[in-house]
Amino acid sequence: MILTEDQLQGLLDRSLAELPRATEWAVALEGSIAEGFGNPSSDIDFLLIGRSEDDLPTMPSLLFVDGRRVEIRTRSVRQLTDQLRTLEDGAKRPGRLSEDLLNRCQRLLHSHPLRGHALVGEVKAMLPVERFRRIAADWWAHRARQSLRYAMALLCLGEADEAVDWSRAGLVQTVKSWAAGLGETYLEPKWLSLQLDRADRPEVRDRYWELEAAAPAPGDADAARGHLAACLAFAEELRLGEVPWRPERLTVERVAGVTTWQTGERIHVIRGRREVFALGDRAGAVWRSLVLGRPLPQVLAATADTGIVDPGPRLAAFLRYGLIRLVWKGGGTVTPSLPLAAPPGPVTPPPSTVQPLLSVRGAAVSGPDAIDLVPLPADRFSAATMALVWSNVVVENAVEDLTGALQRGQWRVAELTARRAVHAALRGLFSAYGVNPLPADSDLVRRIDLLPPATRVIRARAEALLRRTVDSAEHGDGLLTEVRACAALVRDAAGADAFPASFDSADTWRATLQLGYDWLRIGAYLDAELPIEEARDLLASNGAQPHQTARRAAA
Amino acid sequence: MAETMTVLVTGASGFVGAEVTARLTAAGHTVLALVHRNGDLVRNNGRRLTPGPGDLTRITGDINRPGLGLTHDVRHVVAAADRIVHCAAVTDFGLPEERYESINVAGTRHVLDLALACRTPLVHVSTAYVCGERDGRAREDELDVGQSPGNDYEKSKLTAETLVRKAASERLPVAVVRPSIVTGAARTGRVREFKTIYPVLKVLTKGLVRTVPGHYDAALDLVPVDRVADLVTEAALRFEAAEGLTLHAVGHELTLREFSDVLAEYPSFQVPRFVPPSAFSVSALSDRERPYYDRVISLYDTYFRRRIHFDDTQVAAFSEGPAPTGGRPYLRRLLDHCLRTGYLGGAARREPDATRTDGSTP
Repeated sequence: MILTEDQLQGLLDRSLAELPRATEWAVALEGSIAEGFGNPSSDIDFLLIGRSEDDLPTMPSLLFVDGRRVEIRTRSVRQLTDQLRTLEDGAKRPGRLSEDLLNRCQRLLHSHPLRGHALVGEVKAMLPVERFRRIAADWWAHRARQSLRYAMALLCLGEADEAVDWSRAGLVQTVKSWAAGLGETYLEPKWLSLQLDRADRPEVRDRYWELEAAAPAPGDADAARGHLAACLAFAEELRLGEVPWRPERLTVERVAGVTTWQTGERIHVIRGRREVFALGDRAGAVWRSLVLGRPLPQVLAATADTGIVDPGPRLAAFLRYGLIRLVWKGGGTVTPSLPLAAPPGPVTPPPSTVQPLLSVRGAAVSGPDAIDLVPLPADRFSAATMALVWSNVVVENAVEDLTGALQRGQWRVAELTARRAVHAALRGLFSAYGVNPLPADSDLVRRIDLLPPATRVIRARAEALLRRTVDSAEHGDGLLTEVRACAALVRDAAGADAFPASFDSADTWRATLQLGYDWLRIGAYLDAELPIEEARDLLASNGAQPHQTARRAAA
Repeated sequence: MAETMTVLVTGASGFVGAEVTARLTAAGHTVLALVHRNGDLVRNNGRRLTPGPGDLTRITGDINRPGLGLTHDVRHVVAAADRIVHCAAVTDFGLPEERYESINVAGTRHVLDLALACRTPLVHVSTAYVCGERDGRAREDELDVGQSPGNDYEKSKLTAETLVRKAASERLPVAVVRPSIVTGAARTGRVREFKTIYPVLKVLTKGLVRTVPGHYDAALDLVPVDRVADLVTEAALRFEAAEGLTLHAVGHELTLREFSDVLAEYPSFQVPRFVPPSAFSVSALSDRERPYYDRVISLYDTYFRRRIHFDDTQVAAFSEGPAPTGGRPYLRRLLDHCLRTGYLGGAARREPDATRTDGSTP
């Protein structure tokens, strides 16, 4: 140790002098210095053990004694007993064993007694050191396998550089497992070089450093593959087991709560009922080619059959975003984590900035390979698109009503119907930009200030239209022309897809209705707000409108 | 029940019949397995049925014919049976009405004649869908309540069960088991043959038909084949307790909404769009969809309209087996099995096979 017994006892005396003298403690030094590592700036970690049945605080006291940082933890014998028992109980599932628990137990078992040697010895005897070595070795081995399998998967997916990083993580974890089996159980990889020196197997140590130093050139898949193969061979030499180079043992599997919904040609993937990913055409084709339960190489081959070039990075992104998972046959879900880090979990990309955001056919995407995160929570995404579909229908319906009213000289009816058409068009415009819930109809014009400047031209036109009165056929015709022009402006601003003329023909009308059913279905899945009950009625009647039935039938 | 019995099982090579036969012989009973054709009895797991410790005697017969087409000697052997389990039936949809009449109705009549001759206790396998096209709760003690059968299959099973009830009134000891839609094994989803609901799943998940008439709150009841076989076997072996009862062998009630929610969990699957039947028009389907609709979906779309719940109070009181739970996980197991075997998979690439008329798909 870098400190003598006398130095340690002196530090302890001075530290204890700063604590209330209530309990008779047994004391042990734990951590890097007790382990035989450390340097002049290393912390001094004292563990105070009391026979008390009470729960003692988990937070350590921090002291500064003789220029050194001293951490003092207190644990009762019962707490330590529970800790060791929990470790034993969880040892069969190393993937679920927390690093903190393992670390606490390791530090206790490798601690150096300073006071109350008998009690420290009694506590340490609760878990034989050989047993702990096995647990720690298994824990590292589990992590090593995850990292190496993940590296194998990334190589299949063409993500060579990322694969190298995970090969390297697996390498550290492999050698830590091996070292733990020899008694070098200290968790922190910082002291790995000293641990390997002490393990006294120079050939293993040297091979490890050689592999650790290997740096395949960025983008060089062959070099990355060679590096992983060497790491796997090294792992086999160290008897890690269960990581043969067999990517066919990796299968692509479902992630709970991830669902696929298609509207028109757009594929949306909803994660956990909260986030919506909109896929570009090529990304969508890759997604649709995914047959769950199949080996990864087979999935890649099937995707290639669809004509998509280089689908690997798309699949890797699906994996990264937690839309699919990989399972190692007989080894559970591949859950990689860097040494002493929690598994990273699904990544959430920055939200899409494409505008306008929505059309009746689905969310806009930034390109054919896009896996864009829609910048709306799933339920509002669904509510906004339903409102968009519905406003589309209402505009068309109102224009037809307006035409009918003008034919019969019903000027007041025509004025109100024109306003209805304008409001519906504006609701569609807002919905296309993802605004939901919508402002009140009376506030729609003012709230155009929420939208990008390009939409401002609509404001003046809409304001004027909402004030228009009709008292003659000539004014009526003008009004109709203006309403149509306003709807056309909205179409220009929101995009033709966002706002198609759904009544152009029976086919376009049916297509709009089918999209309506699709959005209702997604809305039902997400428990989203329906625009109005009337929308359901319209869809249920296949769009038959009382005053238009004859024309529709003729169409 | 300690002593061993001899049980005549009709349709012993069928989906349910083979499993019942396996269970009976496994319990030490002798099975007289009535089959239409020679060949191995194959269990749901695809393996040849290995009887034992009870004996298995294969009998070739034809339930279309009086006396099941058996020779005098064989009829003598059959007459000594302690129980008859009548599983034989045609369950494919879209067949000519005469097929249902001859196999399901006349076949049952011939089995009843045999049973009545010696008052042999009979377990008759019917279908829960004798309830016909209606909504609400279908009770086990209901039979003919003026319902309208959804298709010729249901009509034939209703007629057959009515014959069984009539025989019961003539003092034939009977028990009736009514399975819902019989599907793969509860734990593995494994299924011997992809019939009934499976072709529908294939057509829908491949996107061969995208728009289907139906209500999202309509419910389909799927029951694992092992659950049905367990219950039929239990009814045969504990006949004293089952006599006079009608037992709904039902399992996992899944609404169309739940169906489509689960289908949406599979990236390669298309999720059908269910539209209100009043708003559905076959002529609005694309030319590509229409043949699949006519040949497959139309045979089943009656099931997409029924908001039906099968009451199983009598099963709960009778059966010592556990009731199934977890409809969605079960559906996933069925779908996963279909993916593993390649029955379901990616998007459609083939045009319809014009020669198939029985609802099955390539």
